[in-house]
Amino acid sequence: MSGKKENSMLEIHGLCASVEGTEILRGIDLEVKAGEVHAIMGPNGSGKSTLANVLAGREEYLVDAGTVQYNGIDLLELSAEERACEGIFLAFQYPVSIPGISNAYFLRSALNAIRRYREESEIDAVDFLELVRSRMDLVGMDEKLLHRSVNDGFSGGEKKRNEILQMAVLDPTLAILDETDSGLDIDALRIVAEGVNKLRKQERAIIVVTHYQRLLDYIVPDQVHVLSEGKIVRSGDKSLALELEKEGYSWLQADDARAGNNA
Amino acid sequence: MVAETWSKQVQTSSLTFDDQGTELKRRRQRALEQFEQHRFPGRKHEEWRYTPLSRLAAGPCAPLLESSQEIPFCPDLPGDMLAKVVIVNGEFRADLSDLSRLPSAIRVQSLAQLRHSDPDQLASLLDLYWTQDSHPFHDLSDALLDDGVHIEVVEEGAKIDAPIHILHVLDGQARAGSAHVTGLIQLAAGAQLQLVEEIRSVGEVLGNLRWGVGLDPRSILKRVRAFRPECASIYHGTRVVQQQDSRFEDLFCSSGGELIRNELHVSHEGTGCHCDLLGAYAGRGKNHLDHHTTIDHKVEDCTSKEIYRGVLSDQARGVFSGMIHVHPDAQRTDAKQSNDTILLSEGAEADTRPRLEIYADDVKCTHGATIGALDEDAIFYLRSRGVSPDEARKILVRAFTSVVFHGLEDRQLSDFIADEIQQSIDPQGTDHE
Repeated sequence: MSGKKENSMLEIHGLCASVEGTEILRGIDLEVKAGEVHAIMGPNGSGKSTLANVLAGREEYLVDAGTVQYNGIDLLELSAEERACEGIFLAFQYPVSIPGISNAYFLRSALNAIRRYREESEIDAVDFLELVRSRMDLVGMDEKLLHRSVNDGFSGGEKKRNEILQMAVLDPTLAILDETDSGLDIDALRIVAEGVNKLRKQERAIIVVTHYQRLLDYIVPDQVHVLSEGKIVRSGDKSLALELEKEGYSWLQADDARAGNNA
Repeated sequence: MVAETWSKQVQTSSLTFDDQGTELKRRRQRALEQFEQHRFPGRKHEEWRYTPLSRLAAGPCAPLLESSQEIPFCPDLPGDMLAKVVIVNGEFRADLSDLSRLPSAIRVQSLAQLRHSDPDQLASLLDLYWTQDSHPFHDLSDALLDDGVHIEVVEEGAKIDAPIHILHVLDGQARAGSAHVTGLIQLAAGAQLQLVEEIRSVGEVLGNLRWGVGLDPRSILKRVRAFRPECASIYHGTRVVQQQDSRFEDLFCSSGGELIRNELHVSHEGTGCHCDLLGAYAGRGKNHLDHHTTIDHKVEDCTSKEIYRGVLSDQARGVFSGMIHVHPDAQRTDAKQSNDTILLSEGAEADTRPRLEIYADDVKCTHGATIGALDEDAIFYLRSRGVSPDEARKILVRAFTSVVFHGLEDRQLSDFIADEIQQSIDPQGTDHE
């Protein structure tokens, strides 16, 4: 994991985190450069979602040790909203529904909060609508959803597409997609993945957290990391994902057993 | 002791009215005796169990019969109104009101006018809505009946598009005291009317307001009530008598208020009636917001929908007691009721009592009540998109109460009310975990 550091966007060293006293991350090292797509894979309970949520600043997760540098700043010092304003975006595994607030109002509040943070003027309703419409085309979303309450009564596919729409509007520097493929059928998966692919760009890094390889058929990663029991146990290129697909995660247990015996 | 002061004060004031020999006088006398006997009921009285009337008994009582010359604030309610009725400390103020654009289909006059010209007719109108049962505020209203407003849509089928704005000013600046207002509304068959009633106050005042509403067949009354009482205590009671296929829509909004008792009694006397009773309220400090509603489904094929939502911070207390009474003949009644409260601090408290009495067998009645905190997941969701925790809470409070305003066509007005409610929740005063 060592190498040229000059253009790393995200540098994680020895990150340990726990929730309610249970240790989940046990020393994560990871470097992500601008323009790259990294996939984090691993069995259930390996800590994938925890890593995503720790990076987004969820307070239930306690960071016990380690450092996270993001564009040269100490990410762990920032609140969740500051991280968002600094360009970090988490696409939720389970997007929250908020009855009574339209998708448009939600998005505009978010966009303006970020603009205020960056000392830019707030966007007015007309410009905002124009921006959202252009981004909706990108993810193939029906404009009706804009005026419905946030995720309220949305299908699984609509919710995930809505996350990608938010990403497209908020234009983050680092996007973390937490199991964006879960609960999607193959058509919905393809639409969501196409949306993400359109949002790949040189200045942006994307971390894709997933249990299954199939999402990576559509969003092709530069690097794949396998997480097990809170550690990255293997890293490689996209072929690693294919290997996992073939062999499953059972070989990890074998590795772990060996590691346990050695200890 | 303090209640005695009330009794004496009320008696003295009541005697100043010279309507000897009229039905009105008899009504006045009976109310006086009843108030004398029962005064403000204590916590042991079922209907007043959650209402600390002792606060009022100790408060200023002298009726503020003469009103100040000017309104002590600038009216700022948005929207185009057809007419404005200004009532200061219970007195209908023709000089401050504007009735110039009223069409001939509608008549608006001061109750004092009717009291002077035909006290017996006034008494018989009062009989339509208020029985002689003892009720501290109605008794006070009867004993001290002075002024108010009488609104009548006299032409059948008349549709009055723009709302009439009724502004109650409770002005206790010169001295503290109480103000008593009676309002009567009658809609002819097929008539439609919209009202926006606003209450504002300065100084220490008890506002005692009651409305009697008579809806003839197929008529529609839409009413929005915006209470912005700052420091006043308010009783506001409405009795609605609905005839066949009529419709009553009421949206109650209150931001703050020392002690507010909001009473609604809707009686469905003809088939095919519908009523919407909607309420949104926010309390902080030691505000006490008490909602007491009764819907009497007396005949078949009537429907009702009731949604009350409250947001309470600091040590505020919210009470909801909603009775749905389905009488034996009221087959195919469809009644929905819900009361949801969000508590923003540990000191806030909500009591909710859905009460259903069903004596017919073919009915649909649903009720639900929830009391909880703001959804932490939703707060994090907003924060993860860049929104500050305080703004996130505001957005969620708005989302929570907006369900109530959903049907309000006037966007300007609903935004205004949402802002008012928002402002009455002090983000600094709440303790979040």
